[in-house]
Amino acid sequence: MTRITGEPTGTATVTPPSRARRPRRRRNWRGLLFVAPAAVYVAATVVYPLLYNVTQSFFDVGMREVTRGGAAFVGLDNYADQFGRPQFWHSLRVSLVYAFGTVALTFLLGLGLALIFRRAYRGRNILRAVILVAWVLPTVVSANVWRWLLDGSYGLLNAVLSALGLIDGDVFWLGQPTTAVIAVILATAWSFGPLAMILLSAGMEGISPTLYEAARIDGASPWQQFRRLTLPLLRPVSLTAILLIFIFTFKTFDTIFLMTGGGPGGATETLPVYAYNEAFAFSRFDTAAVATVVLMVVPIVLSLVYFRAIRSEERA
Amino acid sequence: MSAVVVASARVRRQRRWLAIAGLVVTVVYLIPVYWMLNTSFKEAGDIFAVPPDLVPLPPTVASYVNAVFSDADIARGLINSGIVAVGTTSVTLLIALPAAYGLARLRIPFLPVILMLFLIVQMVPSVNLALPMFVLFSSAGLVNSYAGLIIANCALAIPLAVTILRPYYLSVPTEVVEAAKIDGCNEFTAFWRVALPMSRPGMVTVTVISFLGAWGEFVFGLALATDDAIQPITVVLSEITNAYGVRWNDLMAVSAVIALPVIATFIFLQRYVVAGLTEGATKT
Repeated sequence: MTRITGEPTGTATVTPPSRARRPRRRRNWRGLLFVAPAAVYVAATVVYPLLYNVTQSFFDVGMREVTRGGAAFVGLDNYADQFGRPQFWHSLRVSLVYAFGTVALTFLLGLGLALIFRRAYRGRNILRAVILVAWVLPTVVSANVWRWLLDGSYGLLNAVLSALGLIDGDVFWLGQPTTAVIAVILATAWSFGPLAMILLSAGMEGISPTLYEAARIDGASPWQQFRRLTLPLLRPVSLTAILLIFIFTFKTFDTIFLMTGGGPGGATETLPVYAYNEAFAFSRFDTAAVATVVLMVVPIVLSLVYFRAIRSEERA
Repeated sequence: MSAVVVASARVRRQRRWLAIAGLVVTVVYLIPVYWMLNTSFKEAGDIFAVPPDLVPLPPTVASYVNAVFSDADIARGLINSGIVAVGTTSVTLLIALPAAYGLARLRIPFLPVILMLFLIVQMVPSVNLALPMFVLFSSAGLVNSYAGLIIANCALAIPLAVTILRPYYLSVPTEVVEAAKIDGCNEFTAFWRVALPMSRPGMVTVTVISFLGAWGEFVFGLALATDDAIQPITVVLSEITNAYGVRWNDLMAVSAVIALPVIATFIFLQRYVVAGLTEGATKT
């Protein structure tokens, strides 16, 4: 059960001649002492709460049970309750729209930035570093700034748009369902864009320049080089970036909570916001647990896909 | 010969255009950051100017003086965030440094399982932890305490720190550690005296990332600190948002103060932070 590595552990296994002289050392059990505090900590503060959360989803837990204990076992009632509620399915749908929209926009932003910063020129590294500020900014800060930029009466966006004659009068972007969804996607993609840029830049650096030389000699235009060389060769890195950003976006809570609170009328209520409201606004800790269990499944499945992808990439 | 000259002239022209494009894109991309600073230096009345002033002339620090430094709630929030961030960073370093070393350099059992655990954990949504933690911490008396917030922040900071640090220890040659042991070091002193000093850049990276992560953290603060006295600045900001209404200059000043340590450390330690964040995001 423990032997997952498949590394030879000592005695009679066939070892390559070069290693024959150096006997494999035994597993270092004492070395576990170095790792144990971290492993125990994570088990206690992440794994245990997650499992506890799963058990909560089978009990009847309100505020009273949280403070005094003594919750009753109700089996699958909470699941039946959640899966029968339109709001639950609505927020799952909103979550998916939000995640797909953000991933698409982030990828485009990241790709564009990576292409612009691809060739070396004076000041490039500084510009590329400065743009990362968008990513390291605390979410509460960027969410608030976006709220102000998108303000209906005095926001910068509306000032620009009305100066260009594109809108007439106040437009409350965060006050209408469709534009609110677009707004939170935009704000999230703005933060993740530089991350996508870093990942894709690293991928582009891995493409051999001789390929482009050959393409140029064959008379390929810059667009053809991009379309036929860069994009296909960037595929593995793109996949990694897309999966990673999807996972990050799917679990995003603060950006939406701070920009719209899930509104207007639940239009931007993603699963994390829904789960939070279930627990802390309505004190329904049991059904909130159901929502977070569902919320958990998507990133776990995707991260397993992700780890498999980078494994096979490394082996190739 | 002449073909080469023509090509290099074309390349040079191309570079100039790319440089201009890069500058324009960067400026446009960071408009939100500029607009935050711009608004924070405006008089209350000027934020409603139509069209808005692109430069706050004359700039005023009134918002910083009135809304940030004379407001007891904000000051307390900043102190709380500082305490939680320092606590989180210390505990994270204490636990993650030996763990990363052990996972990189000691032939320990269960290695793949433990590595996988640290990686998967980073994909867990904060809300998924905040909910059960609130229930568990309620019975343990840890809601509304610094300890509770530090414990919660470390839950995410430690796995990230281990992932970031491990490659640094992998780059410490085994021979160096072995030599130290032959010279009389035991397992621990070999780590403490030899491997640890060699991984200094990794320690800087992890210190910065843990600190900034805890400083900007919001979800745990929101769920586990219901009492004003213990709330981190991020939660204070979200709560005053409604109270401030249209006082955007004050809100932007508070936002700028929260962003300041992040931007400052990022500028000075940019290369560490970027290296760490990409490692943490992509490495196995």
